[in-house]
Amino acid sequence: MKNKKQQTNMDAGLAIYLFKNKAKHAVVRFFTLVLIMGLSFTIIYPILSLVPVVFSSVEDLGNPNVIWIPLDFSTVSFKAATRMIMPEGIMTMVKSVLYAVGIMVLQVFFSAMVGYSLARVNFWGRRLVFGMVILVFLLPRQSLLLAQYISFVHFDVLGIMNLFTKAGEVNLINNPIVLVLLAVFGFGVNQSLFIFLFSQFFKNIPKELEEASLIDGCGFYRTYFRIMLPNAVPIISTVGILSFVWNYGDVYYTNYFNPQGSYMSTLLSSTFISANKDYILNALQTWYDVPVATDLAFDAVKQAGALVFLIPLLIVYLIGQRKLVENMENSGLVG
Amino acid sequence: MKKGRKKISFRTMWKIHGLIFASPFLIGFVAFFLLPLIHTLYYSFNKVGVGDQGGMTFEWVGIQNYIDLFTAEVTTTNTTMARLFTEENSTMLLSLPLIVIFSLFMALLANQKFKGRAIVRLLFFLPIILGIDVVMDMLTITTGGTTLDTGSSLLSGSYVTIFLVRTLNVPMRVLYPIMTYVENIFDLISQAGVQTLVYLTALQSISPSLYEVAKMEGATAYETFWKVTIPSIMNITFFVVIYTIVDLFLKSSIAEEAYAFAFTQGKIGIGSALSIVYVGNVILVLAVAALLLRKVVKKNEK
Repeated sequence: MKNKKQQTNMDAGLAIYLFKNKAKHAVVRFFTLVLIMGLSFTIIYPILSLVPVVFSSVEDLGNPNVIWIPLDFSTVSFKAATRMIMPEGIMTMVKSVLYAVGIMVLQVFFSAMVGYSLARVNFWGRRLVFGMVILVFLLPRQSLLLAQYISFVHFDVLGIMNLFTKAGEVNLINNPIVLVLLAVFGFGVNQSLFIFLFSQFFKNIPKELEEASLIDGCGFYRTYFRIMLPNAVPIISTVGILSFVWNYGDVYYTNYFNPQGSYMSTLLSSTFISANKDYILNALQTWYDVPVATDLAFDAVKQAGALVFLIPLLIVYLIGQRKLVENMENSGLVG
Repeated sequence: MKKGRKKISFRTMWKIHGLIFASPFLIGFVAFFLLPLIHTLYYSFNKVGVGDQGGMTFEWVGIQNYIDLFTAEVTTTNTTMARLFTEENSTMLLSLPLIVIFSLFMALLANQKFKGRAIVRLLFFLPIILGIDVVMDMLTITTGGTTLDTGSSLLSGSYVTIFLVRTLNVPMRVLYPIMTYVENIFDLISQAGVQTLVYLTALQSISPSLYEVAKMEGATAYETFWKVTIPSIMNITFFVVIYTIVDLFLKSSIAEEAYAFAFTQGKIGIGSALSIVYVGNVILVLAVAALLLRKVVKKNEK
């Protein structure tokens, strides 16, 4: 009898405890969900808020009655934006993407090589070279801009340019070869970071792989290209995605070293400056028979341009995003 | 004997191959880093002019360029150099802890298990794209000054604020700084993309058995966070902080100023002096951050 009573008491206690636990969990869950949703909203709000702006007709802009759904659907802003930032039509975008892909391939190829030898080959002065990579990463690229710029204006390697030109130097500014040179020699966009990531990755690959391939008679290069590179796919794709995104969106190198090249990023940043406002509004009025174009129209066109610019990036991001998280785990940066 | 010799030569060959692999970077280091650095240093002590036959002329002026930089010269926006540097540094020091903590916070959230996690992660890493300078510039609204419409008006005009001010009589003096931070939250998030990614991977690499042990020992979630999670990610925090500092310095406007000095005003010497001062500034901040962090990391490792 007594035993039974105790049992029920215990059951009740357990039930209360379990309920409390559940309630606590539910509350915590609720708050995390609210936080997550809030943050997600904050992140996409700037993009969402563009929709009513870029899709409404120019006359409707600034209409206080329009919050989310435009009254008159129109794509004038888009047409104007594409006409301005893509002077050669879709080819401009294709060229920009190809440029970013090309630089990306160079960056990945050469960073991987340097990273591998830093991680796996104990050559003379390896620690020093590693220190150099870190140093390059730490010092902002702007600080050397002047001297780099001048050295490209008077480009000359150990006097060999005397053979080709009379002045003994060539002006490489506005020549896309500068950007290729920078990527090959490890000084493209954030390339020291890539070298660092590669070397961290290669450090964690088991030594046995190398040894096995050596015993099977592979030399240094075959070991690298046949064994190590195929094993490095995770880090290659991580670095590849980051490199593509940063190169496509780069305005620093393209603007200073190749200002006349028609990259979408530089076109975007040079077209839509406030000084150009009147020109853009005029263009809008004459091209599309818009009676009044206010400052709001300038913003609409500008943001439409930004959206067009983002398209390739968003595609790459949607494809690569999931891999990015998985791959970073294997990148060797952590742990 | 012969065998041993062969082994050494093989090792040497291996080293030579390694050096060949590293050589692109070494060449680049000399051509695009070391020489420019020396040149910049040299220019900064000279008055650089254009010679009669093209070419450049140098006239040694000692540290006159540095003195001019801080006394006579002004930036393109007409502020003094000292002010430019204080502003750059103070904004950086303010946003640094916020970005680091924020990225950790986002990573912690993204690491939770819940339905629709894939979509949330998709959104959380969007700043990697949206944070690119061009995109940020383009998303800003230029009409009516330089206001940034990234959820800005959401708080100041919201009922919460009105309630706080009208009913609870919270003085605007207290509310205003908080409001500016909340309103610039997108600015923060947009710079935290890569950091969040790094933190998330660090969190995922913590062994689940550690959490199991903590649970068995009856640790609360709060204790687990401070005793298990934080020490495990301390090393990666070092990396995140350094990365954030570098990233913030990359976005500073010094480059444009130096470029303007050198090529619009033709004062290459002054521009170089500015670059050198800038390098010194970066090194100083990084050194202080690294020293402080090393202490914290060591403490946590014990």
